[in-house]
Amino acid sequence: MDQEFSLTSQLRDRRLVITTSGYVNNTGGQAIATEFDRHFAQGVREVIINLAGSKVVNSVGMSFLLEILEKLQDAGGAMVFTNLDPAVDKMLTIMGIFSIAGKAATVDDAIKKLS
Amino acid sequence: MPSALPVTPDEDRFTGQLSSRIGILQQGLRRISRSSTLADLGACSLEALRLTVPSMETGLGYRQKGRKAWEALGECSARGLTELRRASADAAVPNPATIGKRGGCLVQRLADDSSVGLFVRPHRGFSVTDLDLVTFRLFLQLFDGAYQEMAFRKNEKSLVFSLNHRILQLNSLIETGIEVSRLTENQSPHHLALIRAVSLVNASRGVVRVHSGKRLREEYVFPEGSPLRQTPGGAGRLESSFDFLDHSYTFVLYNKESRDGRGVFEETDQLLLDALARQVHASMENRYLHEQAIEKERIEKELNVATSIQAKILPDALPKIRGYGVAGVNIPSKSVGGDYYNCFELPDGTYALVVADVAGKGVPAALLVSSLHAYLRAFLEQAMPLRDLGSRLDKSLYRDSTDDKFVTAFIARLKPTTGEIEYLNAGHNPAYLLRTDGSIEELPNGGPPLGILNLPIVFESKRITISKGEQLLIYTDGIPEAENEHEEFFETHHPLAEYFAAQKPASADAFIKKLIADVKQFAGSGPQSDDITAIYLRRI
Repeated sequence: MDQEFSLTSQLRDRRLVITTSGYVNNTGGQAIATEFDRHFAQGVREVIINLAGSKVVNSVGMSFLLEILEKLQDAGGAMVFTNLDPAVDKMLTIMGIFSIAGKAATVDDAIKKLS
Repeated sequence: MPSALPVTPDEDRFTGQLSSRIGILQQGLRRISRSSTLADLGACSLEALRLTVPSMETGLGYRQKGRKAWEALGECSARGLTELRRASADAAVPNPATIGKRGGCLVQRLADDSSVGLFVRPHRGFSVTDLDLVTFRLFLQLFDGAYQEMAFRKNEKSLVFSLNHRILQLNSLIETGIEVSRLTENQSPHHLALIRAVSLVNASRGVVRVHSGKRLREEYVFPEGSPLRQTPGGAGRLESSFDFLDHSYTFVLYNKESRDGRGVFEETDQLLLDALARQVHASMENRYLHEQAIEKERIEKELNVATSIQAKILPDALPKIRGYGVAGVNIPSKSVGGDYYNCFELPDGTYALVVADVAGKGVPAALLVSSLHAYLRAFLEQAMPLRDLGSRLDKSLYRDSTDDKFVTAFIARLKPTTGEIEYLNAGHNPAYLLRTDGSIEELPNGGPPLGILNLPIVFESKRITISKGEQLLIYTDGIPEAENEHEEFFETHHPLAEYFAAQKPASADAFIKKLIADVKQFAGSGPQSDDITAIYLRRI
């Protein structure tokens, strides 16, 4: 089950892939937002959030994700979530995330979706 | 009707220039109205103002409600912020203005009691005109409107988010209830409930502890490996617990999270944690009751099998022996008892009379009774002396039984023509022989119970003769030890030898019926504590 939060990121064709591990709470959400802001300032407008290692997300962590989504929307960008645990998938659905963000099974699928 | 005052050329020019500036500001408004953050709103507004009044250096400041310090919105020089602080020093003035031809400040109080301040300084060769002043005031009004709209949108989003979160909590509560009820025996419902509780109430971490008395049996922390900071009670800690069987389960959540820093656990958080804990409790109870029901069903099935086996072993009726009256009874205390009795004719014309008691009840006892029955028939038909029969039975039953199982038995062989009886008492209650003179002869032990020791035991058999009118009673301890509601034995109130001597039965069947009736009357409505078995023989 989920450990303390950590993340890694990489750029694939100017698309930011953030891969998380652990509980996405205030700390986790803040870390994702900081990583996003760093790349957003450099012009990155497409983001893939890979939640393969995160089985639990709370609503504070969720609010950071929504904020990133709004920034991307205002800038004409896009965001796709991948490798979702069923419980997290349901949570994002109920919170209305998928009305403004995409969903894909894997990172590769997400990249195809953004292409 | 009074005629309208004529418009002077200066007024006309003023109005025209103002309209032009409003037009430029309104163009900027379209972008301002989409602003989602205060910084964005400030930057966009300032950009629109600088397009409208390019002859001025302008800056915007923002002061949150209840605070003294001003912060820059977009670009605002340090001098501008100093001017704003000076202009708004008198809190009693709602919208102070210290603006003149060489510039200054205008402050607008916003709908939520925070303030926006405009710092103006004309570029070289310009001065602040009346038209500029009106434009600045209009700008601040428009900013106020955009600010209100942004705040409204923010509140609306927050409300939608909050409502969705409530829906999520309710949905998760229902889902968790279903999930914990479906977990297999090796999965822990309290682990799942803790994870759900931590995330649904926005706690940083949590722990569930299982105690047996004061001893800690299990501690599960989420997120795993995170340190549990024992925040002093109150806002930073939430707890719920329940007891099940001999264990207590305690859920503790730490540090309510919020975007503004540490939050405060609310009443609804406590309700949610309690509800999740109740679901785990209910799930454990249901699982326990389900297992009990399955176990009960399994035992009942076993008992049914054993009952049918025993029904084939115990006699439906005893044989008629010429010159004798014989009757027997077996009333098990459970559906399958550990008592055995039988009377059957042997190839040499003698009759075997057997009463035995297997230690224990239920299926294991019934299986041993089954073995006893088979060995008895086989050995008795070989016409071996009873002392030898005792030894062989002992070895055979020891081999077939578990450590805690053994058999006490009274085995008699009657030669009907002479009344001669050879008997073996292996650890059983003494049988009673009632002589015609009214005296009672006890037929005591001739060895230990059968199948109890793995030793070459020598059993002792004895011989007696039963004459006309004399009676023999062989029984198990379920008769003398039958209990009444005061937990008193039948034997205490009716010593069996005396009871036996006092009876004047018309027949063997009549004796058995009366014995059972008296024992049951003594026991009253209490449950039967042991099997009741007896054989009665009377020489006519």
